[in-house]
Amino acid sequence: MAYLRLIGLGIGFCLVLIPGDPLTGQAYEDSQCFKCHTSAKQLIQITREIAEARPALKSAETEGEG
Amino acid sequence: MEQLAPHEKIFVDSEILEDENHGEIACHECHGGNPDDPDWKTAHEGVVKDPTYPDATTACGDCHDEINENYQNSLHVTLKPYRVTIGKRANTNPVIRDKVERAMDNHCYYCHSSCGQCHISRPNSVDGGFLDGHLFQGKPPVQEVCTACHGSRIQKEYFGEHEGLRPDVHREKYMKCDKCHTGEEMHGDGKEYANRYGVENGPKCVDCHKGIYDRAAKNVITHRIHKGDVSCHVCHSQPYNNCSSCHVGKDRNDLPFYKTKASWFDFKIGLNPLKSETRPEKFVTLRHNPVNREIFDFYVKDGLSGFDNVPTWKLATPHNIRRKTPQNSSCNSCHGNESLFLLEKDVEDKEREANKDIIVPAKLIPRKQKWQPK
Repeated sequence: MAYLRLIGLGIGFCLVLIPGDPLTGQAYEDSQCFKCHTSAKQLIQITREIAEARPALKSAETEGEG
Repeated sequence: MEQLAPHEKIFVDSEILEDENHGEIACHECHGGNPDDPDWKTAHEGVVKDPTYPDATTACGDCHDEINENYQNSLHVTLKPYRVTIGKRANTNPVIRDKVERAMDNHCYYCHSSCGQCHISRPNSVDGGFLDGHLFQGKPPVQEVCTACHGSRIQKEYFGEHEGLRPDVHREKYMKCDKCHTGEEMHGDGKEYANRYGVENGPKCVDCHKGIYDRAAKNVITHRIHKGDVSCHVCHSQPYNNCSSCHVGKDRNDLPFYKTKASWFDFKIGLNPLKSETRPEKFVTLRHNPVNREIFDFYVKDGLSGFDNVPTWKLATPHNIRRKTPQNSSCNSCHGNESLFLLEKDVEDKEREANKDIIVPAKLIPRKQKWQPK
């Protein structure tokens, strides 16, 4: 019984004192990736910028079924 | 398939936080980049768009270890049939072979898939874009994933999009791809196969149609007579799409392109080029591939000097199955009906040698029958 209590105490200690991933929960929502990629407005603006700067990625010479 | 708008392709649905399995994995853990940098340009330095290709170990392997292990040998990842087939045709000179390999890199190998390109986004070869705001899809949606790539043949056949042809009977029963092509098949079983017809856990008609050879089954005589000699598709396929001549190259902006000639509909029974224990039939349906001797001429002349080593008509399993077809309406709809068989006259002179083992000699065409089972 005392042995089980000791294991329980050990698990409790780990849960309280060892910090979790800093980017879970609220912190995750605060990441810049998440903020931007969940904002359609920001993405529209950025993808327009990219489209203006980037040349075509596919050849217009492709013809027929692939 | 209609393209998504650029911003839609990368829009993340905040509902992902509620995904108990993936919702607590931070973006940068799989994709890299800097999650604290408010400048999107510098924040994306080092970002990996698809962290599941070519190696999904870091992104998926920790939890999906068995799938990840097998996935490395899945045909969707290895594209082994391309390598094997072109390898047999390619010139044996190492300098020329290298150039063929470069052409393959530019034009063929981008057509792979990955964990991410089935379960999170559309495949890259059809310009990608999240399927549903980066929410993980246990079963990939048919039209955005499966037929996005397997479009010009499988999609049009299965959905009955070709004029005058009916959809596959399984489609009419609302069966999706995964009903036959299970997750286990898609993920691979860890073995490296040279072609999809060898895949051990691939679908077989008799997996579902178990009782067709039973004494009380409908058409049992017909099924028993043809068992092992004729593939199911020979009797149950409708005409299907065939492609010819493909040429690849790069345009003035160094972008790769391909050009294929017009496709045509046909139905041809030939000798089985891939006879095996699981596919022992003598007669199978054959489809012409869009390959030709000069396909890689842009990169190197005579790249496929072994062109004749592999038939240009390949074993086909058209996805337009019907219970009743013109060729199975009576015995003599097929027996003695030369037009259904791939004869020498159906094959271009320059491809005769390549197809010599699958062309049906006149003497092998089954003779007309006087007797017809009831």
